[in-house]
Amino acid sequence: MADTTREPILEVRNLVKHFPLTQGIVFRRQVGAVRAVDDISFTLYPGETLGIVGESGCGKSTVAKLLMNLERATSGEVLYKGEDISKLSGRALKAVRRNIQMVFQDPYTSLNPRMTVGDIIGEPFDIHPEAAPKGDKQARVRELLDVVGLNPEYINRYPHQFSGGQRQRIGIARGLALNPEIIICDEPVSALDVSVQAQVINLMEKLQDEFGLSYLFIAHDLSIVRHISDRVGVMYLGKMVEIGSDAAIYDHPTHPYTQALLSAVPLPDPDAREGRERIILTGDVPSPANPPSGCRFRTRCWKAEERCAEEMPLLAVPQRYAGADTAVAHDSACHFAEEKQHVAHA
Amino acid sequence: MTDDRLLEVRDLEVEFTTRDGVVRALNGVSYGVDAGETLAVLGESGSGKSVTAQAIMGILDMPPGRITGGEILFQGRDLLGLGAEERRKIRGPKMAMIFQDALSSLNPVLSVGFQLGEMFRVHRGASRKEAKERAVELMERVRIPAARQRVNDYPHEFSGGMRQRIMIAMALALEPDLIIADEPTTALDVTVQAQVMDLLADLQREYRMGLILITHDLGVVADTADRIAVMYAGRIVENAPVKELYAAPAHPYTKGLLDSIPRLDQKGGQLYAISGLPPNLLHVPDGCPFHPRCPRARDRCRTDLPPLYAVSERAAGGAADATAEAAEAAAADAAHDDIARVPEVGERSSACHYWKETVDDARRA
Ligand SMILES: Nc1ncnc2c1ncn2[C@@H]1O[C@H](COP(=O)(O)OP(=O)(O)OP(=O)(O)O)[C@@H](O)[C@H]1O
Ligand SMILES: Nc1ncnc2c1ncn2[C@@H]1O[C@H](COP(=O)(O)OP(=O)(O)OP(=O)(O)O)[C@@H](O)[C@H]1O
Ligand code: SF4
Ligand code: SF4
Ligand SMILES: [Mg+2]
Ligand SMILES: [Mg+2]
Repeated sequence: MADTTREPILEVRNLVKHFPLTQGIVFRRQVGAVRAVDDISFTLYPGETLGIVGESGCGKSTVAKLLMNLERATSGEVLYKGEDISKLSGRALKAVRRNIQMVFQDPYTSLNPRMTVGDIIGEPFDIHPEAAPKGDKQARVRELLDVVGLNPEYINRYPHQFSGGQRQRIGIARGLALNPEIIICDEPVSALDVSVQAQVINLMEKLQDEFGLSYLFIAHDLSIVRHISDRVGVMYLGKMVEIGSDAAIYDHPTHPYTQALLSAVPLPDPDAREGRERIILTGDVPSPANPPSGCRFRTRCWKAEERCAEEMPLLAVPQRYAGADTAVAHDSACHFAEEKQHVAHA
Repeated sequence: MTDDRLLEVRDLEVEFTTRDGVVRALNGVSYGVDAGETLAVLGESGSGKSVTAQAIMGILDMPPGRITGGEILFQGRDLLGLGAEERRKIRGPKMAMIFQDALSSLNPVLSVGFQLGEMFRVHRGASRKEAKERAVELMERVRIPAARQRVNDYPHEFSGGMRQRIMIAMALALEPDLIIADEPTTALDVTVQAQVMDLLADLQREYRMGLILITHDLGVVADTADRIAVMYAGRIVENAPVKELYAAPAHPYTKGLLDSIPRLDQKGGQLYAISGLPPNLLHVPDGCPFHPRCPRARDRCRTDLPPLYAVSERAAGGAADATAEAAEAAAADAAHDDIARVPEVGERSSACHYWKETVDDARRA
């Protein structure tokens, strides 16, 4: 369980990533920008799992890439143990990267098909020789295979000789090689069979307990996110719209988007079919290149009023719940944030 | 076969010849759909859900594929006896399919309106102008805003959810009797998924279409299906009305699937996981194909392939209305385990030697 009284291990402040939209082939000129991540702040504590959910294209993977320094932030800070790592480069960046590793969504394409499993898992040691085991590298790789529940004998096999769930384990073993403190997981089980998803989730929870890892867990399956997360952040069109403990988000959501999202999750219970009240949103998600003024959700929100078009709501504890001593008092970026009764959900 | 029976697949067998050997993708698949009914097909990746659908539609890759046995009865006719031209006339007006990936199944260089209108030009001999008019109507029906202005737009100019709705519009164009939707919402977000499923349900009701919904989302199934067929390793392992299946699965694989859904009270604990790996269709295990992963497996499971047994209320103990007579009949049934009745296509059934224990344990839990 996370210790939120301790210093955060990762603190994200006002993070922004705009991808330029250009036109013209010879003379490229910028005609606008995709505002993929637009002023996002959150913290991650040691040993904690922070889940991130939200519609496709809302900027989840971009956040992950910014934290990994695979993309350069347009502005904002990423503090790792108090030090801003978003502007580091060269050796200093490499030293930090050891501690932050990533597990990717697609176990079918994220592993190099021409490398053996041993080479794949051992590759981080070539990039970071200072972190390589002093003696036998092979022995460490075998140990890692064992940790993630794969037969160490498989060390010389190729990725295509494994199933999806096994490949995802290989990706996790690789992520663990350098003993990182933080693992960013971008949809780590989305491509897996239902029967195999649970195996991988159980493995991740076991490793977290064993090694005290912090996870940023991005996924679109809300029930899996609830299962694994201590806290959950909900994103919409480049913004964090609500964040809080799992109970706050799932049992006391106050943002209309979160409420709609939860109510749209189909329940695995045919008896609940008739009784449940679902919020069916109308309209499509607007383009992040041209987001609506004020509140970005207003074009699909059933509670929208004039004020929503004029004034951007801030992510904070809503006035009406300020000082309340329950899970309902958590950050929500809505002018009219309020709990809704009877939101049936996962 | 009931009067309402639209489609009946019987003992369908399909093989693929590959470099590594012959893949027996379907080993005797049977299921049925009535008019106005939704049959959900659940199952492991690679279990043959899409191949069955392709065989029904007549769009299986042949070669490498080969239909080696079985029948596909559609409105009483065996489709496998028809020529290519006759099959083509059925696709579109009589049955249509919605694919998972709308972007790759729409032609990127033709406008959406042209592609929608094509159905009317090819099958109904409509003029270009008429066809475009019908395309606008269809787009309005699937709630594409400003349809008339957008009818000449290209697929990439629409969002994922809109493209999926356009695919639905295309499938519905000629008001077919049967729609097969292969993972129609897997690529979509939950809020858009809810919009699309709602739309599909409305239109199905309106036209009394039969719908085969292929998915691995147990939530979507619970929300929309009337009946469920569960597949494993190229076979149907369980067939049941939706409520009965969720209340008490009769096959250990189905039970494993239902148990691996994360539940609130498991928070912080381990998720239930089906152990082991999905089968390799080049080397399907002897006996019951699920036995290496089955918590209930016994010696017999390693040697005897379980047929589909009829799952009857009275045979399973613990039924709510168990009278003395029923109990006696149950005892008699239990004694004749091996000569159990062959189920009708679509009747509740399970391909597990120990389905009674499985159902009873689930009821007791
Ligand atoms: N390199 C890039 N250049 C231009 N636009 C980009 C780039 N990478 C991402 N985007 C855009 O930024 C937005 C956010 O994308 P991102 O991949 O972060 O979304 P996501 O939340 O991870 O979505 P999904 O759930 O589909 O994975 C999208 O509109 C995307 O098209
Ligand atoms: N064209 C083909 N050539 C060779 N094998 C094939 C071909 N198409 C399908 N198969 C094999 O047939 C089996 C069944 O495939 P199918 O696509 O029906 O699975 P599925 O149940 O739809 O799985 P998923 O949930 O992953 O879509 C698989 O083992 C697959 O590899
Ligand atoms: S600020 Fe307005 S538009 Fe935005 S979520 Fe709240 S009520 Fe809806
Ligand atoms: S037949 Fe045996 S191995 Fe197969 S599902 Fe039933 S109990 Fe399990
Ligand atoms: Mg992503
Ligand atoms: Mg398929």
